[in-house]
Amino acid sequence: MSGAKQTTLERPRMPLGLLFCLPVILGLCLFTLYPVVASFYYSFTRYSVMKPPVLVGTANYSHLMRDDLFWKSLANTAYFAALAIPLGTIVALGLALLLNLKVRGQALYRTFFFVPSIVPLVASSVLWIWLFNPQNGAINALLRPLFARLHLGQPPGWFADPAWAKPAIILWSIWGVGGTMMIFLAGLQDVPEELHEAAEMDGATTMYRFRHVTLPFLSPQILFVLIMGLIGAFQFFTPAYVMTRGTGGPVDSTLFYSLYLFNTAFADFKMGYACALAWILFLLIVGLTILLFKSSARYVYYAGGEGG
Amino acid sequence: MNTLTEGQTDKPACSLTIRLRGRSAVESKMGVLFIALFLGGCTHEQTKVHGKKLVRVWHVWGGTMAEGFNKVCDAFRKTHPDIDLRPVFAANDLATNQKFFTAVAARKPPEVIFVDGPQVASWAEWGALEPLTNLCKQSGINEKDYFAPCWRQNAYEGNVWAMTFCADPNFGFVWNKNSFRKAGLDPERPPKTIEELDRYARALTMFEKGELVRVGLIPWAQYGQANSIFTWGWAFGGDFFDYKTNRITADNERVVKALEWMVSYAKQYDVTKVASLQQGFGSAEQNPFITGKVAMMCLHIGGIADLARYAPDLDYGVTYIPSPPEGEQHSSWVGGWCVALPNGARNRDAAWEFVRWLCASTEGTELAGKSTGLFPGLKTSPYFETVRGKKHYDKFLQILQECRHQRPVMPVQARYMRELSRAVDAAVYGKATPKEALARARVATQRELDILGQGGKGRS
Repeated sequence: MSGAKQTTLERPRMPLGLLFCLPVILGLCLFTLYPVVASFYYSFTRYSVMKPPVLVGTANYSHLMRDDLFWKSLANTAYFAALAIPLGTIVALGLALLLNLKVRGQALYRTFFFVPSIVPLVASSVLWIWLFNPQNGAINALLRPLFARLHLGQPPGWFADPAWAKPAIILWSIWGVGGTMMIFLAGLQDVPEELHEAAEMDGATTMYRFRHVTLPFLSPQILFVLIMGLIGAFQFFTPAYVMTRGTGGPVDSTLFYSLYLFNTAFADFKMGYACALAWILFLLIVGLTILLFKSSARYVYYAGGEGG
Repeated sequence: MNTLTEGQTDKPACSLTIRLRGRSAVESKMGVLFIALFLGGCTHEQTKVHGKKLVRVWHVWGGTMAEGFNKVCDAFRKTHPDIDLRPVFAANDLATNQKFFTAVAARKPPEVIFVDGPQVASWAEWGALEPLTNLCKQSGINEKDYFAPCWRQNAYEGNVWAMTFCADPNFGFVWNKNSFRKAGLDPERPPKTIEELDRYARALTMFEKGELVRVGLIPWAQYGQANSIFTWGWAFGGDFFDYKTNRITADNERVVKALEWMVSYAKQYDVTKVASLQQGFGSAEQNPFITGKVAMMCLHIGGIADLARYAPDLDYGVTYIPSPPEGEQHSSWVGGWCVALPNGARNRDAAWEFVRWLCASTEGTELAGKSTGLFPGLKTSPYFETVRGKKHYDKFLQILQECRHQRPVMPVQARYMRELSRAVDAAVYGKATPKEALARARVATQRELDILGQGGKGRS
């Protein structure tokens, strides 16, 4: 709030104004701040919701360290993040570069590639279960002749095979890069044309110009996309839940961290343990985000000149 | 939240008068409106509507089952004009159960709740249910009148927590007689032993261009991996829980044998190919037993009606689960839905009257059986007279009468089933030996159980 004196008209209206803001303030305190604080407290308890919580100290956290499902789900999530984020970023960047070309029907192409990202997650998950169906799915129908020609045997079993279930989900995630692509497209509009022209006159190749002109100007967007991707990957839940009916199968291959957290909380009603899981997840995301930010000073270029 | 809109006989519990001096009329009115809206939720809980006692029943029935259940409810309303019975569909999935538990925690649960048999002990342990022991005594309900595994399923820590609405004899073993004929097998001679079962399964399995198109049996796909290992584990003579010592026995020798046998199918027919075939399985007309993709499987009692509806001409038979000679003959276990009173529910007497009528009275159980095709838990129900000699159902009745098992009655049942499921998954996909996988399930579940044992029960 500014230090300016309130006008005579404003002062009597102040309480009423606050009254009207109350829903938001109360909502934030009750439904965001309180649950966050409460979950920290509950992470030190054993709590089934219907009975009062029992304080157990750090037992939940020490149990976590010995819980093989915790490590398994963390490993699955890390695997997903390590592959899906870079792959998604590269594909989105590639698409953005292509769709930035001045060709006829540019807007139409952009729309085509953006549309998948507005399909509801559950709907697209169900759709992809069918596409990935090993016997009748469209993907294997395309792959089958190819595999036969290359003498590779049967195409992958996707969700029928623990080795292929995660790659299938990663492929699904690539399908929805439309949003990221839009961010890059917007960023591309800010790359100064004159720099490209100057570089071209100096004899720079297309690759060289991309590397030394386009990429530096896109670096803030890349950082943003990486951070949002990281947060999204660690909270990855809906498609895994829908595609495996909440089991995380086959053989725990799609048991992602959030799915395990959900099962702990709402199938086993171990709220205390689930809160501990949630706090570890929170700390992990915060830690990784800080790391990304710290390292960004070296490669992110802000055109405004104020630095990162 | 209170969802009632009719019969607003009660005044809001919270009321507030405010005076907003020096405001414009519009502003004052908006302020009052705002407060009224904000406090609108604070109303008394209603227990009576138009002088009738309100009994809301959260049930799990959809489709034709719901029609049957509604018929039962109508009959109850006729004989109980002082009770306003309101069946509400609530699927008993993770999402709905969250709502139920939240309602219990907020002291505003429905008056009657349907609970799946294996959930009873956990829900009782969590404090979601009201003990029914005294109510049973007062109503003269006698344990001996119920199928023993059904009664055991609802008894936990010295109390009765639920009444069996339907006793599902799990399972009837069904075989497709047409598939048998095509494979050159005698359609009137189902497998009795595991050795026969293996031989038939081999004859019935068909590959085309390297892909599986028909399978004799998928041992781990009998209503989920956990139910599969229960089914075959008991058939092989194993057991899953020692009630005397409170120990999980998932990796006892006989259960390991059962899982080893299940894994032999995964190896012989290639688990990925079987799983690929399974991904094309559906429900209703797409049921793999109807489409002929699976020739032999376990069927629960509700499945008879489904098969009759979607494939009235399907030629199949029902028999006992095959078992090895050293295993348990005619092995089966009960599942089925139970009815309970949520902790803190109002109109307890009226709610109990419905539960008693539905699960313990001759007229209620008979009507429920007739309307839904499911077996009541009450052994003496006149409904069973109508089943004798009825195709397929009579076999299921025999199976129920010989039934010895129920899934372990213990507070970490959901976890146990998930761990068993993981064990079957891991073994079938060759990621662990059956012994290792089941031992892991035992250790993980026992740890959860022990945590509850260490004063974590917090009975308050």
